[in-house]
Amino acid sequence: MSNLLHVGKGTPRTIEIDKVTGRAIYINDLKLPGGMLYGKILYSNYAHARIKRIDASKAEGLPGVRAVLTGHNIPDVRVGFLKDQTVLKKDVVRQFRDEVAAVAAISPEIAEDALDLIEVEYEELPAVFDPIEAMKEDAPLIHEVDARGKPIRTNILPLPWKFYAGDIEQGRKNSAYIVKDTVSTTWVNQCCMGTSGCVAEFHMNNDLTFHSQTNVVFLAKQRVMEYLSSIGMRGTNVRVVNPVVGGSFGTKLDTDIYEFICILLALRTRKPVKILFSREEEFRALPPRQPAVFTIEQGCDKEGRLTFRKAEAILDNGAYTSWGATTPSVMVMPMSSLYRVPNVSFEATCVYTNNIYCQAMRGYGNPQATFAVESSMDTLAEEAGIDPAEFRLINRNQSGDLTPMRLKITSCGLEDCINSVKQKLNWSEKRGKRKGKGVGMGSLIHVAGGARVYKSDGHGMIVKVDQNGHIDVLDSGTDQGQGSPTIISQMVAETLGFRPEDVSLTLGDTGLCLWDAGTHASRHTFMAGNAAVRACEKVKQQILELAVENIPKVVKSGFRSKKRKDPDFVEPDLDYTLISKPEYLDIRDRMVFPKSDPEHPFFRVEVSQIIRDALHVGTGESKVVMAEAFYDPPTEMLDREMKGNLSCTYAFGTTGVEVEVDEKTGEVKILQLFAAHDVGKAINPILVKGQIYGAAYIGVGYGLTEEMKLENGRVMNPNFLDYKMLTAKDVVPVEPIVIEPGDEDGPFGAKGIGEPGLVPTAPAIANAIYDAIGVRIKSLPITPEKILEALKEKRE
Amino acid sequence: MKKVSISFTLNGDKVTAEVPPSWTLLNTLREYFELTGPKEGCGAGECGACTVIVDGKAVNSCIYPIPEIEGKSVTTIEGIAGKDGTLHPLQKAFIENNGVQCGFCTSGMIMAAKALLDHNPDPTEDEIRTDIAGNLCRCTGYVQIVESIEKAGEMIRQEK
Amino acid sequence: MVDYDYKKPKSLKKVFGLLKEYGPKATLIAGGTDVMINITNRELSPEILISLQGLKDLCYIRKNNGYHIGALTTHRMLEQSDMVRAELSALHDAASQVGSVQIRNVATVGGNICNAAPSADTAGPLLALDAAVILEGPNGRRRIPIADFFTGPSETVRKGNEVLIEFDIPEEPGRFGSAYWKHSRRKAMDLPLLGIAVGLTLSESQEISDARIGLTVAAPVPIRAHKAEEFLKGKRLDDDVLAEAGKIASSEASPRDSLRGKAWYRREMIEVFVPRMAKLAVERIRSE
Repeated sequence: MSNLLHVGKGTPRTIEIDKVTGRAIYINDLKLPGGMLYGKILYSNYAHARIKRIDASKAEGLPGVRAVLTGHNIPDVRVGFLKDQTVLKKDVVRQFRDEVAAVAAISPEIAEDALDLIEVEYEELPAVFDPIEAMKEDAPLIHEVDARGKPIRTNILPLPWKFYAGDIEQGRKNSAYIVKDTVSTTWVNQCCMGTSGCVAEFHMNNDLTFHSQTNVVFLAKQRVMEYLSSIGMRGTNVRVVNPVVGGSFGTKLDTDIYEFICILLALRTRKPVKILFSREEEFRALPPRQPAVFTIEQGCDKEGRLTFRKAEAILDNGAYTSWGATTPSVMVMPMSSLYRVPNVSFEATCVYTNNIYCQAMRGYGNPQATFAVESSMDTLAEEAGIDPAEFRLINRNQSGDLTPMRLKITSCGLEDCINSVKQKLNWSEKRGKRKGKGVGMGSLIHVAGGARVYKSDGHGMIVKVDQNGHIDVLDSGTDQGQGSPTIISQMVAETLGFRPEDVSLTLGDTGLCLWDAGTHASRHTFMAGNAAVRACEKVKQQILELAVENIPKVVKSGFRSKKRKDPDFVEPDLDYTLISKPEYLDIRDRMVFPKSDPEHPFFRVEVSQIIRDALHVGTGESKVVMAEAFYDPPTEMLDREMKGNLSCTYAFGTTGVEVEVDEKTGEVKILQLFAAHDVGKAINPILVKGQIYGAAYIGVGYGLTEEMKLENGRVMNPNFLDYKMLTAKDVVPVEPIVIEPGDEDGPFGAKGIGEPGLVPTAPAIANAIYDAIGVRIKSLPITPEKILEALKEKRE
Repeated sequence: MKKVSISFTLNGDKVTAEVPPSWTLLNTLREYFELTGPKEGCGAGECGACTVIVDGKAVNSCIYPIPEIEGKSVTTIEGIAGKDGTLHPLQKAFIENNGVQCGFCTSGMIMAAKALLDHNPDPTEDEIRTDIAGNLCRCTGYVQIVESIEKAGEMIRQEK
Repeated sequence: MVDYDYKKPKSLKKVFGLLKEYGPKATLIAGGTDVMINITNRELSPEILISLQGLKDLCYIRKNNGYHIGALTTHRMLEQSDMVRAELSALHDAASQVGSVQIRNVATVGGNICNAAPSADTAGPLLALDAAVILEGPNGRRRIPIADFFTGPSETVRKGNEVLIEFDIPEEPGRFGSAYWKHSRRKAMDLPLLGIAVGLTLSESQEISDARIGLTVAAPVPIRAHKAEEFLKGKRLDDDVLAEAGKIASSEASPRDSLRGKAWYRREMIEVFVPRMAKLAVERIRSE
């Protein structure tokens, strides 16, 4: 590992130079020839209403309009994870952002004008905006029938998440201390700087090219094909292609309604159609992070060892179902496996309401659940009279553990993470002063070696080296800005013996690449890296085999030329056995050479020379150099009990924060934030830090300032002025601590980092605030108002 | 729609745009001149992705009325590299210091930074953060953006 | 579809002529940072925008028998003026924190005050500095004390055919200092939850000889806290006095619950920040 030339270095992102020259093509910039049209969507004006009448005739008549779709003129087919919505709603609208109609026109302005001309008559229905209210018997029903037409009699989703391990009652009996609390998190927006959008184009043979920002190109292809099949277009071939993507943070894992709308408009008009969200739409119509209310109870014995953890979560599912409802499948990970806890019970109930529905966001349920677990850990530590850092060390996960969820913990740097944060914060000196300044911490566990959410967790890689010594890599994943092209090029260069600048990558194209479950779950480095290393090893073997054949020919032909020019030339007596087998050779810096004599004057040959010679043989036996690898790790899906080792390895980390609270204004200032993360190995330390900084900032926003304000189902702050995402002037002094214990399964020992950086930030802040002023805020975001109210309550 | 004729200097070239007077500078740059570097992130002057430099000052082009640009000088991200392709120190620094991740905010961010460095090639961290406070970024947490701008400042000072 | 004409006359006379010609179909525009957004969100649908940017001589910061700030002065110009920072500190504090550099480069103080949002950052300081607004119409000029300029949220005494041309701020005799606090959830790109501006004059014997307190987002219009001001006059500066002044000022305010914040919190912040800004104003006097 210590002789690495490229892996472990801060290789610059030269491969993405288009992003700094204005040449990168995002979906906003994509313009297809052939009279591309612009699509716009009409949303409902009510949270819950019956649609009595839709009249689109005036819109159809507007010059420049090429198609108007309503629920009445498209196939009545259900979509979504639970198939609980149609693409356009024609009978009932169940939330403010329900899609009621769509227009394609020759300009976005005309499309907007056409929306104004669509007349919709609603009859308002009673609505419910609180999941607890929605669970009551007399609550208005959000859905009346399910996907199969069976009547539904409750707003509770048929998705009962239940996890049980061990014996809670026994755990209680073994406890010297028990605490119980309720905490809650609310909706936050992913705030990708590039808004949602796509371009769909049907070709004359009905094949579809779909320019989508999706992170899961192959799953998107599958969903689109299933949809097309359900509307009578079975067998349509679909190619999903990514433009450059302006951020994802979870927004691009489902196939959203606007994507189906775009495809329908393209089908109806037989022209390329582009839909692009405005920022307001991005706030009003894009599913945000899943909110949750947790009741959590934990106990420990006299020595501070956790005895049990019991939690129940209520999820406001909104009107329809996307990935928000599956966040419990990730919440179960911190619930059952963050720290060693023998007896665990976790139940999550998803409830329909007339609020906005939710999808994934960086962390996918882990930030919410970790807020609950880590707030409770501090409360329990206090009850037991044990320092919170010590308490965490007592219960820390360790290599070799098998958790109640059956996660196999292999590499585990948690102890180092906790200790390094403790030390950096000067924890022992600063903890417990209660004078307005305090320290707090929180840890995390997350998947970092893939995540077998689907039956295949594979990732395919194709690598070819051409006759000029240039390497082309077709990576089945996608890029959202995290830096994958750079680190893949580093790993490819390292394995093959080239330089990162010799590598070009294509990502996000179902037509060219093999298959990948998706760039999600922080899995891309691990999966693509492993696939790349395997493919490159095959390629290297091919090159070395060709070298064995060709180096002697090259050398001897050189001698023959010399002899022709100078008859006195004597051919040197060389030991050709040095290069007689592939295993005697190696490649470094684009050159093949014998291992036993790396500086051999005749046997060092450029790889490109060898490939050229293998190609241009003139006898019909020419060869090219390429290989593929499909890496699917030895993991398992969660079983019916929500148990299974779904990842090859796990990420651990600890965030420690020092805060200062102004007890008069309730404002919280972060004085220091240390984020220690076990990343296995940092393929590119500068990029790893970039992930940690970015995720920490989102975590601070989650903890202190960000919330989508919904009033009776309506998003009241659908803009950057009133949605408080942090600016550069909101300085948060983040110091990443990169812990590298290695990992036996990761490429060069690397594990995922994309999401972990965010997860423990909010609870660390909440814990630090408690240390500073003795009040615990149990709902996010922790606003100044909440702090002042809590301080008042404390005084009374 | 009626159109007006607006003449100005764009990335060093004298140009004329024939566009409706109700267009913004951003519309004009993207649709008329097909320069897609400046981006629409919000359309309301709240995110800075559309930032360009007008007569030496950073402005949000999405709320800048095109008729006001008459006679002025506009620079976009497409105009800061050398004619021979040499990257501007800011472009180089952003690539080398991970100041760019998804890149959507980058065009605007670099222009805001350039407006600062053109006047003050040795800014403090606080001055940098003040001058890019109008450029939102979700990916980076701003840290490596500030580092990139500091490094660019160093490069610029060394060139002089 | 947004569609309007755009004219940029070079004289006030031509502006008045256009306003007369187009009446309610016209909207005046200066920097445009408010108007352009109002057009996009359909609060405004003008047929013609009349730009004031052609009136190049309305852009100045002068000191000459008091301070005179042309209506087209940008917030950035105020931010970068050493004189404004030293002598009209509250105005400098406010102008420097409006939006972002991109906004400040373009947004004019005249446009911002005419827009009359209850949260306008410079309104509080202009109150604390006892500014007056000069309006000019086809029939001549009139001078309105800033305290009388605002009549309601987004409403002022300016008639449709008048143009705000200048702000006049008296030069304070004696030892004067001012400060403005913008209470917001973020340090940039934000509107204030509450704005507190304090201007104080200290006598030779370190007593407060004059005080002016301007509060924004504390009532439907920017207001002066007269009772708190009266209370402060003649008193020595100590924590108890300042705390009491804060309480009185808070009782004079009538904030409401809004999306951006609750009334109770605004009231409490008035109590906290009137003292803090008074202290800052005094620090600035002492450091001169």
